[in-house]
Amino acid sequence: MIQIAKDKTAYIDGTPHLIGEGESLLNFIDRHKGRGHVPTLCDAPQLEPYGACRVCSVEVALEVDGPRRTVASCHTPLTPGLHIFTESEKVNDLRRNIVELVLTDHPLDCLTCEVNGNCELQSVAAKVGIREVRYPQGRNHLDRKKDLSHPYMTSDLSKCINCSRCVRACDEIQGQFVLSMHGRGFDSRIIKGFDTSFEDSDCVSCGACSQACPTSAISDIFQSKSIEATNHTRTVCTYCGVGCNLEVATKGNEVLSIQAPPNAETNGAHTCLKGRYAFRFYNHPDRLRSPLIRREGKLVEATWEEAYDHIAENLNRILKDSGPDAIAGISSARCTNEENYLMQKFIRAVIGTNNIDCCARVCHSPTAEGMQRSFGTGAATNSIDDINETECMLVVGANPTQGHPVTGARIKQRAMKGIPLIIIDPREIEITPYAKHHLQLRPGTNVALLNMFSYYILEAGLVDQDFVERRCENWEELEAGLKSLDLDEIEKLTGVDRQEVKAAAIEYASAKGAMSFHGLGVTEHSQGAKTVMLIANLAMMTGNIGRRGVGVNPLRGQNNVQGAADMGAQPHQGAGYLDVTDPKIQAHYEEYYGAKVSGEIGYKIPEMFEAARNGDLKSLWLMGEDVVQTDPNSEAVRAAMANLDFLVVQEIFMTETAQYANVILPASSFLEKSGTFTNGERRIQRVNAAVEPLEGTKPDGQIMVEIMNRMGYEQSACTPEGTLAEVAGIVPFFAGATWEGLGDNGKQWPIQEGCESTTILHTESFKRGLGKFHFIEFKESSEIEDNREQFPFILTTGRLLEHYNCGTMTRRTRNSEIVSKDVLTINPVDAEVKKICSGDHLRIFSARGEVTLEAEVSEEVKPGILFTTFHFPEHMVNNITSDVHDGDTMCPEYKVTSVDVEKV
Amino acid sequence: MALKVPADLEKEIDKRITHYPESKRSAVLPVLHEVQSHFGYISEDAVVWVAKKLELEPIRVLEVVTFYPGFRQKPVGKHHIRVCRTLSCAMAGSAELMEEFCKKAKIDRSKVSHHDPIAVSEDGQYSIEFAECLAGCGTGPVCMINDDFHEEVGTDKLEEILKNCD
Repeated sequence: MIQIAKDKTAYIDGTPHLIGEGESLLNFIDRHKGRGHVPTLCDAPQLEPYGACRVCSVEVALEVDGPRRTVASCHTPLTPGLHIFTESEKVNDLRRNIVELVLTDHPLDCLTCEVNGNCELQSVAAKVGIREVRYPQGRNHLDRKKDLSHPYMTSDLSKCINCSRCVRACDEIQGQFVLSMHGRGFDSRIIKGFDTSFEDSDCVSCGACSQACPTSAISDIFQSKSIEATNHTRTVCTYCGVGCNLEVATKGNEVLSIQAPPNAETNGAHTCLKGRYAFRFYNHPDRLRSPLIRREGKLVEATWEEAYDHIAENLNRILKDSGPDAIAGISSARCTNEENYLMQKFIRAVIGTNNIDCCARVCHSPTAEGMQRSFGTGAATNSIDDINETECMLVVGANPTQGHPVTGARIKQRAMKGIPLIIIDPREIEITPYAKHHLQLRPGTNVALLNMFSYYILEAGLVDQDFVERRCENWEELEAGLKSLDLDEIEKLTGVDRQEVKAAAIEYASAKGAMSFHGLGVTEHSQGAKTVMLIANLAMMTGNIGRRGVGVNPLRGQNNVQGAADMGAQPHQGAGYLDVTDPKIQAHYEEYYGAKVSGEIGYKIPEMFEAARNGDLKSLWLMGEDVVQTDPNSEAVRAAMANLDFLVVQEIFMTETAQYANVILPASSFLEKSGTFTNGERRIQRVNAAVEPLEGTKPDGQIMVEIMNRMGYEQSACTPEGTLAEVAGIVPFFAGATWEGLGDNGKQWPIQEGCESTTILHTESFKRGLGKFHFIEFKESSEIEDNREQFPFILTTGRLLEHYNCGTMTRRTRNSEIVSKDVLTINPVDAEVKKICSGDHLRIFSARGEVTLEAEVSEEVKPGILFTTFHFPEHMVNNITSDVHDGDTMCPEYKVTSVDVEKV
Repeated sequence: MALKVPADLEKEIDKRITHYPESKRSAVLPVLHEVQSHFGYISEDAVVWVAKKLELEPIRVLEVVTFYPGFRQKPVGKHHIRVCRTLSCAMAGSAELMEEFCKKAKIDRSKVSHHDPIAVSEDGQYSIEFAECLAGCGTGPVCMINDDFHEEVGTDKLEEILKNCD
């Protein structure tokens, strides 16, 4: 027998076991005897220990025969040498008594209860051996009314056992503080907000309380905890770039509900209302169920064979008449890696052009470009889990609780623990009250502000000279540039007091480890890529690279926008970011694809529209993107669509763009397909089909394979294992990735030997060798320069938690009952001048067009600034946005539009 | 509607908060007492105001208010009567005292319940509450009218006590 040091062991029912660091008695027992060996009610693995129910009581003694004491194991720290008795008669009696008392105030209607068979109270009662309740029925709470007010959340507090798990989930996981315990003793009860309903409270429907509740006291309309489902499939959410793992409960071919798996590394038992509840779009009556071909101006149903023939015939005609560069494709960041790979392969190897792009163009292309220039690779340097280690958080141009809710909740939780949070954003956002510094700059002045921020780091002597000398280059240029700044001018431009900037800069630079996050408020600007380079500068000049809890971490928008770019859905780099103009790489691709590929850089999305309008581009293939609705300056996009000779749209719903299509191919949603998505922290995760494709639809990958074959290219079928292997053969950082090896939690690229993760990039050296500093001069956007006289307000745009982009999916769920319109936020000062009240209808007009929106007067924005979201097609906010682009990547400047506003 | 707090009250509250340098949260009880003594009760707006003052979530303040029966969530009369109902006073006749006070002050006794412990007279002059121990066990039954403490309150003394309120 192995001898174990006494100071490292403790005894469970007489048997010695090794103790772990910082363990409670319960952790220790769970680890060695399995969860459930000691029954618990108020304890949940995702929550802090609480010690309310005492069901987890055990006896402890310092000597095996010494005097014993009864303690709650969940919140008692373990000490070496302790003897723990988990099954003594005394604790068994105690547990039985506690549960028996709980049952005196619980309706014993288990057979008709929605959680029958999956109720923790039921299993604990069974485990402690209750066969009868000895007490006569006395005063109780069995007559409490159900709360069915909310589109998703439900409560039936007659089933409540006052364990406070829901309250703690709301506080500790989401940080929303909606739930609480009202009163005390026998009268205590769970309340929402000021004792109101779910509907009227500030609940964000994340469902953390429902998942944490051990009974059916808090649940949801899908009865997610019921055991009705016959199958559970683990997959990855289709919405944002956080990449939450989901567990989809199905019965037959129907999705019943979705929960978050407790062991998910990305989201550990948490997700948001989109991931958990907004799935009923998948079998909505509006789903496209048959290919449609435009005949005599009308879209008419056709078979897949007819559609493929029609497409092949037209594409071959255009290839013959106008050459491959007259054809382009836009891939989809909502689709899997394998599907993106096949799409770009179709365009490059079958059509023979590099005219392939994806929606990263309109969101994070500046991030990829900026970080590639600074570090050599465009992806997040660290992992989301590093939030737990960081000592300072810098959030630039991102609203994480709305756009990336699970990451947002983690940032909020960390800030609530006292870790300084710095926000650079034109608006007061949900996490602003938790921030130590909020630099509320005028939209469009990121570069000016970050220059000043860098200046103060330099001035305070907080530059990490050692890191700069060892790991970076071009410092002199930056240093000289910063010293030449006109701080008075910057203060005027940004509207932020220099002392505030100085304090924030010192906070960031003095922290032991500082992590930056940025979103589209950085990238969707005329100096987008340049702003990213400035954020990279900050990390390098303070040595915040290459270890835990630091780095530059773009909050990637779509579920697979990282993957779409990795797979080569961009015109200048093929699969794996290899330069398409390099003859050696061209030859490498040609050998792998067995087809000729072009060495010319193709069109970026805005160039595709331009080429379509002037007739150079004849045909466009869109995979799951509604460009008319989502790209700026909608009129110009419409003109482009109308001028195309042949437009193919692969979609799950009819969209504004699909109205212009010559052929529409009905695709399957994420719930109906398998493959991989890569989240914002480079984690390649397995997507598993939970149900069969809806009748009449096909997964996008299968469609690509079939059209490739129809066009004469032999492409093997799109399978999770097979296509991933093909990708791994060409994308360098996927080499070694296998379907099996990815496991339940996926792996972060670059994949290491044995299909292992790389959690942190640039640990020893940068991808490009030395990290490169850039000094960037601020340049006012031409949108402001040209229009500020006539259109004095600046409109900036953003997102809401409840909807996703143009809402094609979320508007077809009950999320639209929670939020049903876009509104325009205006500062009270401006509202007074313009005589505007909340609820008034406003006309907002720019140099391009006008829209009508309802007013919401709020101090969230400073005077002179307006804000709106863009989730509802009826408003068509993009009628007014400009087509000014980032000078480096052509990412549109959605965040700055010169407008004026008046009451209708 | 945001709560309107007079400057001197806010000054007093700010002073109270300085007594808890480690954490503003610890000042929640004294601040609530100040607010209640000024406004007579703690409204939702007051909860929001206190929460903002102490940098807490409103619900963290609300749960304290609901935990202590000494904090009131609705307005009381000009003269708020608290009759002790704990053991010594109960044995000394606090139930009769309660009945009698209600009659004299024209308060509907049936409105004083376990869940809603305060009833107010129609004219708003008086309100009554069956309170937990007021710490006068040797001289029961006792009651308090606003901040004035009355001991050995026989039902015959009520008329005079109420008269002296005005």
